[in-house]
Amino acid sequence: MPAAGLRERVLEEAGRCAYCGFCEAACPTLRHGPHRGYGPRGRVEIARRLLEGLSKPTGEAVASLFTCLLCGACRVKCPLGVDVPLVVRGARSLYLAGVLGGRVGARPRLRG
Amino acid sequence: MSALDQVLSLMAEYVERTGFPLPVPKGFQYRWAEPLGLPRRGRVYLYTGALYQLAPYVEALVEQLERVEERPGAGIVLRLARAVSRVVDLSKIAVRPDPARVEQVERVLRSVAGLLRAAGVEYAYLYEDDLYSGILLYDMGLDEAFERHARRVYARLRERGAEKVITVDPHTTRALRQVYPEYVPGFDLEVVSYLEVLDEALGAGRLRPSASLGLRAVIHDPCVYARFLGIVEQPRRLLRAAGVELAEPPRSRRMTYCCGGPAEAVLPALARRIAETRMGELAGVGDTVVTLCPICLVNLGRAARGRARVVDAAELLARAFGAG
Amino acid sequence: MGRLASELRALLGEGKVVDDPLVVALYSRAPDGLEAEELPEAVVFPESAEDVSRLLAFAYRRGVPVYPQGSTSSLGGLALPSGGVVLSFERMDRIREVSVVDGVAVVEPGVRIEELNVELARYGYMFPIDPASAAAATVGGAINSGAGGMRGAKYGTMRDWVLGLQIVLPDERGTVMRIGCRTVKCRQGYDLVRLIVGSEGTLAVVTEAVLRIAPLPENVVVALAFYERLEDLVSAAVAIKEEGVQPLIMEFMDADTVDIVVKYRGAPVEARGHMLLVGVDVNREATGRVLRWLAGLLRRHGASRVYEARSMAEAEERGLLDVRRALFPAQVEYARRALGPGAQALLEDIAVPPSRLAEAVEGVLRVRDEYGLPMALGGHIGDGNLHPAIAYNPRDRRSVERAHAAFREIMRLAVRLGGTVSAEHGIGLLKREGLREELEALGASKALEIMRAIKRVFDPKNILNPGKVV
Repeated sequence: MPAAGLRERVLEEAGRCAYCGFCEAACPTLRHGPHRGYGPRGRVEIARRLLEGLSKPTGEAVASLFTCLLCGACRVKCPLGVDVPLVVRGARSLYLAGVLGGRVGARPRLRG
Repeated sequence: MSALDQVLSLMAEYVERTGFPLPVPKGFQYRWAEPLGLPRRGRVYLYTGALYQLAPYVEALVEQLERVEERPGAGIVLRLARAVSRVVDLSKIAVRPDPARVEQVERVLRSVAGLLRAAGVEYAYLYEDDLYSGILLYDMGLDEAFERHARRVYARLRERGAEKVITVDPHTTRALRQVYPEYVPGFDLEVVSYLEVLDEALGAGRLRPSASLGLRAVIHDPCVYARFLGIVEQPRRLLRAAGVELAEPPRSRRMTYCCGGPAEAVLPALARRIAETRMGELAGVGDTVVTLCPICLVNLGRAARGRARVVDAAELLARAFGAG
Repeated sequence: MGRLASELRALLGEGKVVDDPLVVALYSRAPDGLEAEELPEAVVFPESAEDVSRLLAFAYRRGVPVYPQGSTSSLGGLALPSGGVVLSFERMDRIREVSVVDGVAVVEPGVRIEELNVELARYGYMFPIDPASAAAATVGGAINSGAGGMRGAKYGTMRDWVLGLQIVLPDERGTVMRIGCRTVKCRQGYDLVRLIVGSEGTLAVVTEAVLRIAPLPENVVVALAFYERLEDLVSAAVAIKEEGVQPLIMEFMDADTVDIVVKYRGAPVEARGHMLLVGVDVNREATGRVLRWLAGLLRRHGASRVYEARSMAEAEERGLLDVRRALFPAQVEYARRALGPGAQALLEDIAVPPSRLAEAVEGVLRVRDEYGLPMALGGHIGDGNLHPAIAYNPRDRRSVERAHAAFREIMRLAVRLGGTVSAEHGIGLLKREGLREELEALGASKALEIMRAIKRVFDPKNILNPGKVV
């Protein structure tokens, strides 16, 4: 199981995102991905929705989370200092532990 | 079970069974040290975490699997899963790294060893106990497998009497310095990067250049050093002291741009495109690129295609500080 | 998979349509806490004007609402969908041409303003429209929202910098056409370009723009001043103009907001009182003279503290811009400390003639006190544009209602002072009522009728960003 309190920590961090999008231009994967989920704002929002139970994991959501490089460029750009790598890695862990709902088939892909 | 899940379980299983995330020959991680005759016991250990040594195998595995599958651009995850399902016995997946790449990463490690000695640092080496840190398991969210592995690694380090470890790459440094303390009860090792050790020795006058390289190079900051560990100025001071005129790419220091490497396990085509973008930026500033991480070294090296020479900082430093 | 999504895939190609519900949700939220009431059925990613044309012809035939989007960084709900299909320009992000001789850049709508400026800087040029969201905001979004920014007092807003457009109409053929010119002077009958700029994606879809560009200023001197009394600050701002100088930037924050920034974000300089940040573009040789003049003027008008920088680089290094830049995160942090983790800030966008700024600020602070709402206040003093940020909790009905009531009150204040309810953010969902009141106050109720008629001509089936503006 993931560390105790991980879920709360990730949810709190994801909940801090104001959705301004300032992080996106710094993301190396977003410009090659098929949609916004391949960027920091999308990944944090996906994590938030999964953790709040608003949605079950989907193939695109899982692909979005697992294509992140955890490079942290977004965190430097975030006006609120949201720790995006913490959110993404934490969401991966919680997903793999099965606490966000079942596992699904994911097909990471480039745009086009 | 989905393809992604299969790859992740495979990775975890490998680490569980062999200590490494993919098939490697026994002893591959300490072969570089054999000619050096480093002491086997001490309180301060050089701990490579085997990441430099693994890099040629990762490169080869990804390329091998890309060749297996006919559909270009499709996810490696799918290919790996198919390859694995054909070969039930995991030990039958043989990975043949490029000998030149193996030679290159071993040279980097010997350079680090020589530099530490030139700085008057007393240390021992772990040889067969120089285990992989498990950082990829952590990054992928395989917390349980990571935790089990990390505890084993720590136990082994304690058995060897380690009080302090000197690391050689950003990912292993981060793993031990920032992640292990959260997962390994009682973790109390001091963790320093060789760059920090050398920089301190340089400042204190214990490390002096014996030659000036007189070359110009573009520096590529690894994300983990620059943004997670704050190791930014140390390599610059060392390289300048070595007589390297440093050029900065448009995105550097805290705003450095990823080499793409971490995407390799999930979507190599993505890793390649990112490496291509970054290489374009770097090659626009100079024809020698200096990196500080095995993943950057391999990824950028492959993307360079003659536009630039990609070298590890340790190799340059060793030449200037008479540790080559 | 929804039927609409499969039809769209057949129409445009497999890779250009996404209907995964978690991805669709990513195109249904805005930075001010507004969210789509009904999720769209799919998001479409066009790669050319041809794709857009096919989509609009299809949507016209089928009566499907289409919501064009850039980076969804606009405020006031301009780009929020309600069902239908989101048309996202992420993949149309090429800078096609930069011509210094013609003074233009030709770009696709998905280019982010900051990225355009990085490219233009290589030529010694810039695109002067700089919304605070420039890191995220796209050219297409800026065109549709009629964006402005810090340099508005000197350079105006988007309508002054768009020379020509390629647009696609929501008709049976998805007509593609070019309007406007590649020259600054252009009298092409009625000015359709300026009609599209600021139309919030309700009339036509922009697929390419010919933008005017400006040379980068040779140098900029910067002064950051703090005032105990608001009247003193305003008199300083007025005096700068009276002496015939048009600053590149002239930014304002009220004393309480400065305190909020210091408290929640920290400041690299001693920051207390009402803040005035002034940047004046100069020839390099004039640097010392202009900076002395500027700092002297600010002090003579009662500044308690003035920090000076001889260049933008020096100002950055010393953090003189940090207080202003921290406005948005401080507003959000403040809202959350006051109202809990889910709180957001609803951003107002009024403008009044600069001569009436002091009255406007006092009026806004009165509304804040009357409603007892956490509110931060900053804005572009050079052009009379204020951005009060009202904290609210989007998930609490009462909080939403009170915030909206205060929001309306401030819009009315602007109208009373001869100003406007929206200077640069646009009407969207939040200011339709305000727009009506503003036009009524001008005795121009008929203008709304004209606008509705224009909407019908462009978009007879009301499928383009329905529910916005009019």
